[in-house]
Amino acid sequence: MTFPQRSPKGASGAARLADPIPAKAGIGLRFPHHDHVLNHRPDTAWLEVHPENYLGRGVAADDLERVRRDYPVSLHATGLSLGSGEGLDAEHVAAIANLARRIQPGLVSDHLSWSTSGGVHLPDLLPLPYTEEALSVVAHNIDQLQTALGRQILIENPSTYLAFADSPLSEAEFLGELTRVSGCGLLLDVNNIAVSGGNLGQSPAQRLALLLDQVPAAAIGEIHLAGHAVRRLDDGTLLRIDDHGWPVSAEVWTLYEALIARIGARPTLIEWDTAIPAFETLQGQADIAQSILDRFNQPARSMAHVAAR
Amino acid sequence: MSPLADLQRQVAGAILGGGPSDMPALAPSPISAGAAFAVHRDTVLSGLAGALRLTFPTVGALVGVAFFDQMALAFVAEQPPRRANLAAYGEGFPDFINRYPHAASLTYLGDVARLDLAVAQALGKPDKDIRREVVLDEAIRLSLPVSLTAFALHSPADLIRDGVEAEDDQALAAINLSSRPRWFAVWRDGRAASVQPLNPAAGLFLHAVLAGAGADAALEAATTDTGPAAALLVLQTEVFAARFAQIIQAPPEEIQP
Repeated sequence: MTFPQRSPKGASGAARLADPIPAKAGIGLRFPHHDHVLNHRPDTAWLEVHPENYLGRGVAADDLERVRRDYPVSLHATGLSLGSGEGLDAEHVAAIANLARRIQPGLVSDHLSWSTSGGVHLPDLLPLPYTEEALSVVAHNIDQLQTALGRQILIENPSTYLAFADSPLSEAEFLGELTRVSGCGLLLDVNNIAVSGGNLGQSPAQRLALLLDQVPAAAIGEIHLAGHAVRRLDDGTLLRIDDHGWPVSAEVWTLYEALIARIGARPTLIEWDTAIPAFETLQGQADIAQSILDRFNQPARSMAHVAAR
Repeated sequence: MSPLADLQRQVAGAILGGGPSDMPALAPSPISAGAAFAVHRDTVLSGLAGALRLTFPTVGALVGVAFFDQMALAFVAEQPPRRANLAAYGEGFPDFINRYPHAASLTYLGDVARLDLAVAQALGKPDKDIRREVVLDEAIRLSLPVSLTAFALHSPADLIRDGVEAEDDQALAAINLSSRPRWFAVWRDGRAASVQPLNPAAGLFLHAVLAGAGADAALEAATTDTGPAAALLVLQTEVFAARFAQIIQAPPEEIQP
């Protein structure tokens, strides 16, 4: 099943179409920067928000509507629990769909993870075993969400700390099959590649290559960049924690450059969620991403190269 | 229950319960199961405590981060969130604080939490120009913001909140904590919430009409502790002429039989 990238008419009947997210560097908008963005309208190509923070019609939602007048906006959900074996929360799906109708985002995404079990919501992106059953569950839940939204979503590769014994598919195989059967796209988080590779004892570069072998370049609709913490455990092992509280690491910049060289320019987001610095710091990170995008901004040729593999 | 749902119940239980680690479903990994679960547990619990801190900023400022987080985690264990919308999480927190043994000496803390919650809930609703109308009689309607709530507290939570916001320790020290019912109206006003103390007659009247009572029943509620004449005077100044209210007189054709 495929879905149009542009949204259908809104509830009002007005033919307001979503502004597409440009293949440029954008910034994750968080509450501490609302005033700055609303009052100073920084020169940022696009912004992304977590829709769970903008449900209802309160101050935050009003802020987002004002932001949306000036910027293309992407909705990056964290709580849909697309990997839940107990199905989706229909009320939450409806709330996200209502917000999407109002905001007309250029992209909508969530994660390859789950957050809800037994009626309890855990605000984390919890890992899935990569089984045929999980594939069927996630594809079904994505289909339900895409139907409610009337559009394609992107799904983000997770950061991983543990592995399951019964997990016959690799993450790359799982995501490749998921994009094929559900029609969703991939939000490729390069930092998560580095975190997962480090924690599972794999080369991040190899992990990225395996993912690109399984997921068609055309399915990659967005890229995320962020920083992560590194902690040495008592046994000497290095634990990478995806805390989004640091500048993008040199390793991730290298992976990103290789990725863009291979698949061409894509909308690229700088995420920073803990110890949030001044907006200018995020803009500085976005400028680095933009300089890489500018260097390889030939999507058609690069994607043709990938398609010819 | 499907194998996936069953596995997720186990993982969720291990995260909330603080365990892991000997789950047979886990594969050997460079990171120990205990360390991996600790990352998830920290993310979940710090996320929930952080969400509660955002909804209850005055409580957080009064008791400090360490005490607040300890209290928040006890609340999470008792009433974990059911939905992903964490801005709406914590409705039971004020009552929980009143029962929390380590806060027993802070008799005002539950009321402060109730006021914090009312402010957060008002900020989550449409601005004051989105209104609802209450029919008082054939000719008059009372227009109120949909964000408006009216409720009674036994502590001067508004004064405590003001003192905390102003970081005015002298003002906080001067507050008389004696217990007596105090009524408040809270509504959204732009990007902030307004908190207005009310005479009990006005609070009882507003509380009644917001709960769907008719004018007669609301007026009867307002006169519970006050004579009718005094209550009407209070309603005139604190409700009908209040910043949040508008009186709408129905055009004659609407009230003609």
